Amino acid sequence: MSIIIIASDSYKTGREISEKVAEAAGYDCVDRELLKSVSEKYNVPEAKLIRTLEEPPSFMGLSSKLRNLYLAYIQEVTLSRLLEDNVVCHGLAAHLYVLGVSHALKVRILSDFEKLINETTAQENVAREKAINLIKKRETLKKRWSLASFNVDENEPSGYDLVISLNQIEPGEAVKTVVDTVGYRKFEPMTYSIKCLKDKELAGRVRAALMEKFSDVKVQANGSTVIVETRALKRDKRKKTETIKKLAGEIKDVGLVEVHVFKDIFRQAVESNR
Amino acid sequence: MAIITISRGSYSKGKEVAEMVAAKLGYDCISREVLIKASDHFHIPEVKLIRAIHDAPSILERFGHKRQAFVAFIRSELACRVSTDNVVYHGLAGHLLLKGIPHVLKVRIIAQMGDRIITAESKRAGISKEKARTLLLNDDQERRKWTQSLYGVDPWDSSLYDLVIHVHKLQVSDAVELICDAATRDQFKTTDKYKRKMDDFAIACQIKAALVNQFSEVGVTSHFGNVLIFTKSGDRVGQKLKKRVNELDKEIKGINNLEIHFGLPLPPDAV
Repeated sequence: MSIIIIASDSYKTGREISEKVAEAAGYDCVDRELLKSVSEKYNVPEAKLIRTLEEPPSFMGLSSKLRNLYLAYIQEVTLSRLLEDNVVCHGLAAHLYVLGVSHALKVRILSDFEKLINETTAQENVAREKAINLIKKRETLKKRWSLASFNVDENEPSGYDLVISLNQIEPGEAVKTVVDTVGYRKFEPMTYSIKCLKDKELAGRVRAALMEKFSDVKVQANGSTVIVETRALKRDKRKKTETIKKLAGEIKDVGLVEVHVFKDIFRQAVESNR
Repeated sequence: MAIITISRGSYSKGKEVAEMVAAKLGYDCISREVLIKASDHFHIPEVKLIRAIHDAPSILERFGHKRQAFVAFIRSELACRVSTDNVVYHGLAGHLLLKGIPHVLKVRIIAQMGDRIITAESKRAGISKEKARTLLLNDDQERRKWTQSLYGVDPWDSSLYDLVIHVHKLQVSDAVELICDAATRDQFKTTDKYKRKMDDFAIACQIKAALVNQFSEVGVTSHFGNVLIFTKSGDRVGQKLKKRVNELDKEIKGINNLEIHFGLPLPPDAV
């Protein structure tokens, strides 16, 4: 059975469609309720996790180190949940990090623009023109967020299998289209696509564990082999490698740990100028 | 009973999808025919029309009206052709040329660059991978510039379409199924009201095409054949325009009444 990942230009619309798709397909719906588990597991306030998913980096916002750490936590818990299969996932930015998993159907739902304007007008108690400006501003912020967090523009249609606009298509029809599409053979889990997802989940767990100490790590997994890339000064190289190997080696399912340390040229330049 | 426009990049398998959708629904599949008809009707070489609708305008062209005139000719032919219903149009800019018609199902087919390069290589003998890539990138760039300069939108913007289908994991046959399923829904069926709206749109497009060479800044609306022509210019061009409009009454079918409004801004729904 497959995974359905739903992204939308409006959280409310995405949630509504996700719940209906889950009901129609007989899947579980995973939404931001999952942040409660993330919060308990990593002892981070839920409000901060929500901010991480909504706010692009700014002077007044969370530091980029904390943002990346919290994103790694969210990613780890979400990927573990997706391994369970038969899941509709929404609101956790999974469309940006579940890449190359063929049994994951990625859908973007675009809200009915008139409906969105009316909702914004009522919620914010503003005139139509101002509501349109607010919607456009939110879109720009979301684009900035996705570029800053995953270096991907989430508005780019090539990141999805299907984009449905609710301007003309009714929500019920969109739900039917998504449920019908996930039934196509290409979205059946295959040995290779399940392995891809398992590798991503393991890499996510290792990354979440390492990022508390080393914020710049990049992690890939292939079976039980984990490859970690990081940067360090020449004199710290050995110590850092050993610590990473020790930390990663303690994680369940990890066999071999390969560490690639690259020269930290910026720190080196700073230190040589002292 | 519907009108479907399929927008696509070069070698994105959009043509295949359009032909299969038309065959499955028993519709006509049109693309280049519109340009040929416009070329015959308005006595403009087809190559000029292709350039007008494909290539991005140069700096000088942005200040002239020639390109807008050519686009008006193409739009007029397209509107007349699709008003007969049951049509799949997979030529350039269908979703923009038919903007404002509610029962048009607007679809975009996209494909990954790698897949497009492979298709280009197989269809054009002797073309290298690098050349195919450059060709596709240039083509995409031209489309982007063209749409932005004429309509102020990005053709890659998903909100311009009802459905965007990525042909990669989804196969051509899956895309065909999705489109056929959507096209049979109530909101895309041609009701009497929509038919009237389409006929009015075709009348407005024909009038605009007939006037655009001499009066580039006119906007035309039609409601039940009652045509309003708006122009920002004052009485200076009035007599000339009135004379030409009177001739149109005999040339174009379906007109009940023609009125000209001088010195007024063009309404947003005007062609």
